[in-house]
Amino acid sequence: MQALLSFENAPPFAAPLRFFLTAPLFAILAGLLLAWNGPPLMASRWMPGALAATHLVTVGFMLQVMLGALIQILPVVAGANLRHPLRVARIVHVGLSAGGVLLAAGFLIDPPGMLGFAALLLGGTLLYFLAVCVQALVGVPSTSPTIRGLKLALIGLAAVVGLGMLMAFALTYGWSVPLSALADLHAGWGLGGWAGVLLVAMAYVVVPMFQLTPGYPARPSWWFPVAMLLLLLLWSGGVLGNLDGLVRLSQGLAAIAGIAFCVVTLRLQGQRRRARADATYRYWQLGLVASVFALLMLLISSLWPAASELEGWTIGFGILIVAGGFMPFITGMLYKISAFLSWLHLQNFGQAKIPAPAMNKILSDTDCQRQMVAYVVALALLLAAVIVPDWLARPAGLAFALANAWLFWNLAGAVRRYRRAQAEMAEKLAAL
Amino acid sequence: MSHPKTPHVVDARYMEPPGPFVATMEMLDTLKEGEKMLLLLFREPHPLYKVLRQNGHDYETELKPDGTFEILISR
Repeated sequence: MQALLSFENAPPFAAPLRFFLTAPLFAILAGLLLAWNGPPLMASRWMPGALAATHLVTVGFMLQVMLGALIQILPVVAGANLRHPLRVARIVHVGLSAGGVLLAAGFLIDPPGMLGFAALLLGGTLLYFLAVCVQALVGVPSTSPTIRGLKLALIGLAAVVGLGMLMAFALTYGWSVPLSALADLHAGWGLGGWAGVLLVAMAYVVVPMFQLTPGYPARPSWWFPVAMLLLLLLWSGGVLGNLDGLVRLSQGLAAIAGIAFCVVTLRLQGQRRRARADATYRYWQLGLVASVFALLMLLISSLWPAASELEGWTIGFGILIVAGGFMPFITGMLYKISAFLSWLHLQNFGQAKIPAPAMNKILSDTDCQRQMVAYVVALALLLAAVIVPDWLARPAGLAFALANAWLFWNLAGAVRRYRRAQAEMAEKLAAL
Repeated sequence: MSHPKTPHVVDARYMEPPGPFVATMEMLDTLKEGEKMLLLLFREPHPLYKVLRQNGHDYETELKPDGTFEILISR
């Protein structure tokens, strides 16, 4: 796999690993918060607990893995080298982790000024990350849809952070802003413009490579990231100009674009040449199917706005797109990347004299698939809890925390086996 | 497999890593001075590009409509 991540391009393992091991802890916290807070958390997306849990997952889990993976993968998919990757990783990891905890605490217990402070910390950290990425990408031509997507996703990140900071300061200082419309737009830029475009740009590379599928057709691949950003700009224009029709039109078209991507990916997976379905493949299938349903809900509410007034609609949509869509995509990749990076660093450590243990020995696919069963149960409980929160909100929270604790256990086990293998290889090398 | 651009082709589109890298380096070793080879992949291999540049090889990349990157490499 040197062709995927040639070692001289690879940052130290410690750079991405800190993000990968921290992310499940935030998801555990989100689950425990639901188990503790219970049904009121699912009553409305404006409940403090719902806001805290949402950001524990989106900032603490999703953003954590995405930034860690980007530090690792920018040289590979874009030929863009970050300067001092370990230093960047340390700074971003501390800022993001502390910012994530403070943001959730700011929503939940609302001590004076904490929300604004958390927004400043997160905004500063992400601005630094963006500056580092821009510096690495300056002069890198967009020779592939992946590179174009990466660059546009960073614009999406800037937008979601800017909107988040605006709302946090508005809440802190009592500014008069249209909070509901801005929150939708913040979510749109976060899930569509940043996470969605980044995921699609990465999928162009990793789906054919890891699942041995045909490639994504070139023309739509070039256009998807651009179309998504243009639609989000339209949406933003609609919010600024108070044009509800424009907002709904851009939401509906963005939903259609997202569904098209999911359907194309499912079709490509149907033509894969790898017979065995591993945990990454299964997690991606779950993510694609759940995303199609979530985006259908978005399409329906853009055509028939009263739908979003139905009880549980918005919370159900949020669970389906975040816990059903993005988290499975990310977890599937997390398993693949962690096993691969362990193997890559051991392979290098062996200096071509001692072979590294196989990836499956470092992180067993069976363990990953068992954890996935627990995650599917948790997701089903979360969705059912939207309908019967009084009975299921607390069990769903507990199941979500347990499934993510299992994810942490699997990843930490891989690190333990990596360290043990490295020690054994060092002994053998010394004996040569 | 042959191709209008060159008879020396590595079709690595359904190969697992590190297959494409190994097959490309092996074929490059068999080429004579001035000959070219073609690598077919569903992604741009930036780490391979770096190795090619370090070893003094020129390359040109073209993205085809089906998502195949055709990378023409000079010996």
